[in-house]
Amino acid sequence: MTTAVVERGPGASLASPGRGRRKIKNGVATTVITLCFLVALVPLVWLLWTVISRGWHVIVKSSWWTGTERGIGYRDPGGGAYHAIIGTLEQVALCTVISVPIGLLVGVYLVEYGRGALSRVTSFMVDILTGIPSIVAALFIYAVFITTLHGQRAAWLVSLALVMLMLPVIVRTTEEMLKLVPNELREASYALGVRKWKTILRVVMPTAFSGLITGIVLGIARVAGETAPLLILVGYASGLNTNLFSGFQGSLPGMINDQFTNLGSGNKAYGLDANGNRVLIHNYAPDRLWGTALTLVIIVMALNLIARLVGRFNKVAN
Amino acid sequence: MKLYRAGVIAGLIAGVVALAACSSTKNSGSSSTTPAGGASTTGSSSSSTVDCATGTLNAEGSTAQTNAMTQWINDYQKKCGGATINYNPTGSGAGVKNFNAGQVDFGGSDSALDPTKGEVAAAQKRCGAPAYDLPMVVGPIGVAFKVNGVDTLTMTPDVIAKIFAGKISTWNDPAIKALNSSANLPATKITVFFRSDSSGTTQNFEKYLKATAPTVFTATPDKDSSKSGWVGQGKAKSQGVAQAISTTEGSIGYVEYSFAVQDNLSVAAVDNGGGPVKLSKDTASAALSSAKVTGTGGDLTLKLDYATKAAGAYPIILVTYEIACSKYTDAAKGKLVKSFLSYTATGGQAALPGLGYAPLPSDLQSKVTQSIAGIS
Repeated sequence: MTTAVVERGPGASLASPGRGRRKIKNGVATTVITLCFLVALVPLVWLLWTVISRGWHVIVKSSWWTGTERGIGYRDPGGGAYHAIIGTLEQVALCTVISVPIGLLVGVYLVEYGRGALSRVTSFMVDILTGIPSIVAALFIYAVFITTLHGQRAAWLVSLALVMLMLPVIVRTTEEMLKLVPNELREASYALGVRKWKTILRVVMPTAFSGLITGIVLGIARVAGETAPLLILVGYASGLNTNLFSGFQGSLPGMINDQFTNLGSGNKAYGLDANGNRVLIHNYAPDRLWGTALTLVIIVMALNLIARLVGRFNKVAN
Repeated sequence: MKLYRAGVIAGLIAGVVALAACSSTKNSGSSSTTPAGGASTTGSSSSSTVDCATGTLNAEGSTAQTNAMTQWINDYQKKCGGATINYNPTGSGAGVKNFNAGQVDFGGSDSALDPTKGEVAAAQKRCGAPAYDLPMVVGPIGVAFKVNGVDTLTMTPDVIAKIFAGKISTWNDPAIKALNSSANLPATKITVFFRSDSSGTTQNFEKYLKATAPTVFTATPDKDSSKSGWVGQGKAKSQGVAQAISTTEGSIGYVEYSFAVQDNLSVAAVDNGGGPVKLSKDTASAALSSAKVTGTGGDLTLKLDYATKAAGAYPIILVTYEIACSKYTDAAKGKLVKSFLSYTATGGQAALPGLGYAPLPSDLQSKVTQSIAGIS
């Protein structure tokens, strides 16, 4: 109480009727804002709770991480997500390998070199790319590689479609991060006679390093759960296929979609006995669906944590 | 300060209560199910020997045969460790399209390749040899419904067509009552569900209506339901229609029988003029006995008799085909297709009744086996 009085300063005690009203206003505003915060938190906590509570008992089994869905129908227990994890990691890795150099270089160009029309056009194009829905990116790749060039559907085409989604995220964050680097650092470097490319490489980029990593991870998180390119550009395989360039390949979103087609009305499904009578059977697809969803969340979160550690480690080294 | 704290606490309590309410309902929903029947999935014939081949096959198409295909693939892969077969249920239209585009090794379709649409020519071009339509599964199409307190209903083709056209819009309509005097039909509005994606189930259902209720159903049967003049909502895939019916009171739709079974939907008996016929594997097989093979060479396109009045023949059936090349440029691929399809046409047939399908009649089965023997 005393600190509050001190803050208001002298003269405040004269307006004692207004003081009560202000307190009420303060209380109401605080309550409303706190409530809004909690409401905003509800979907997040609810979602995490649903995914974890329904999925954890599936993923704690070691067979989940080492087995595949090969030979596992909706009536069969067990099975694993190994094929889907490998597929998703491979697709995202290829996408990252393509996107990161291009994205970083475009970002550097826009901040350090870009002047005039070309820079404005590039910036505008990146903005447009940001707004492209994943299904449109997938259709574009389909039109180019399958309709026009008569290629085969394969997982690497998914990576290409994901590049279109990942690239603008990396360019934008790179741009923002490099802009944050104080100009004094660049000037100090130039004053010592260091050339521009070396200044960018040795001064600007290391200073913005953790921010750049964050941008890349945001990009990965953005594409890891994308489903539209998977539905259009590659079939879902329930067994392991490590070849990005041929055949169907499993993936976590693809596996969720596959399990969803057998969701039925929950764990209770029906089958027929030899006489054609309906008998209750257990449907394991919903369990696996939630398990896959949780696995996807865990993988994205793990990537995030790794990136943060990398960023922190680098800061300490400097 | 006190007010401030009180506000925060009140807010927190409200939030916690809301969360607790949410989570507790979710919890009770997810933990209440235990298997009761315990029907085994792998009880299908293991006596027959399989001539195994190795490699990977990618296939896609008809959703109506998904459950059969899943079972066959699982059984086949158990017997033949070196083989991997992937089947994506994306619909008959997608199956034919991607087979002809060379994207998959064989396609699943509820309708044979249509020469009038250039599908036969496209398949010939893709294979460099004629493609075969091989009937593999007989899937009765159930007219599934969900009406509170009503488990069995009888319908005539005329009534079905009128419901789908919106000319009968409530469950207690005199036309339905006349056929089901004992049923306690409510005044609920009828919600119609049909397939929104390109579907052989739609085409077969429309062919049935065209053959039996031509005055009400006037459109040309097609995989695409957009010109059918139906009321109600389109849903993607067999699974989508089945799920929509199971969650909507007063709904009706057509869905391949194994999906109706999976979601425990009630299925109407159909009266083509020879008395009401309930849907079962035997009544579906009976209807197939009047079908004729119209394909030539190894192709086994069937012409079904939808208007059959034979007693004990359930008339709304579809025959789902596997569409395969008669000759593959990659010999190893041809060998695997031959091996897998031989299995599905012989040993695999025994698994069908338990899944809600009917097996091929023996004379047709021998023709199919003969055609498959010619694949290379």
